[in-house]
Amino acid sequence: MPNDSRNDQLRIIFLQTEDLASEEKAPSRLKARVYSALIREQQTTGPLQDLSATQAAGHSLCVFEQLVQIAPVGEAVKTPFFCWACHARALAERIENAPIYWPHCPYAEFQNRRKT
Amino acid sequence: MEPLAQTSVQPAQSTSNDLKLVADILRKDRKATAEFVTRYADSIYSYVRRRVMPRSDVVDDLVQEIFLAAWQGLANYRGDATLRQWFLGIARHKVEDYYRKRLHEADWPDGDDDSGIESAAAPFYEEEFDRRFLGEKVRSVIATLPEAYAVALFWRYLEDRSVREIAQLAGKTEKAVERLLARARAAFARRWDRAER
Repeated sequence: MPNDSRNDQLRIIFLQTEDLASEEKAPSRLKARVYSALIREQQTTGPLQDLSATQAAGHSLCVFEQLVQIAPVGEAVKTPFFCWACHARALAERIENAPIYWPHCPYAEFQNRRKT
Repeated sequence: MEPLAQTSVQPAQSTSNDLKLVADILRKDRKATAEFVTRYADSIYSYVRRRVMPRSDVVDDLVQEIFLAAWQGLANYRGDATLRQWFLGIARHKVEDYYRKRLHEADWPDGDDDSGIESAAAPFYEEEFDRRFLGEKVRSVIATLPEAYAVALFWRYLEDRSVREIAQLAGKTEKAVERLLARARAAFARRWDRAER
């Protein structure tokens, strides 16, 4: 068995990797894929919350979602995950720091761009 | 000590925000789900990456698995701990599942002679004073070790699990884990000494 001081030394030096880890950001592609996977999983047990309720809860919608949200249609039509058909999702899942800039688009917000 | 606990947020404030976020996610609010990812992806990614290096190829899958497990368990979140701490618990379980699997599947390098395996002069790790340098050096040394050694060292020294706990979790005998750790420490020490300064 190693002595306690050697165990302590190893514990301390392994903890030094903490400092490096705290600087790391998850790749934007990974965030996009995780988000899509979560939504896919949520949809297996029923529809998502409709966009009107989402907006009422204080969340901003992207321009495409807004168009759906103001459309004179029933609330059930506002529950699908419209991002499945959106280029922003497709780009975000495949390209790191994808060139998507739509306001309030989650896939755009996952990008690790420096705030100016 | 834990990276996920580094943000200095008032615990009470954090918990009430957490409860609202959880309630919104459980209602399948897509924007709340996006906020969940934005809020925790960096922390979970760092946590996992640090514990499975150098196997960077498994990080993405593990992170996704942790988020999905969190979604499945979210209804049980009661706000007793911050969401961050709760999430960290899930991450820890998943990482330990990974360790367990790897120790089962990986080859345990076999030494010809274990006698005096750790009697060679151990490096004086504390002589290194630059923390960043130390962290980088640990990473580069770990990257050269057989996977079973890396997993054993992480489990013992980063997760702070005892030999008995590792043996129980991995389904091995304590003696086998002790031998593995002794070899892992010896290999680590040798490479540490040889590593570029």
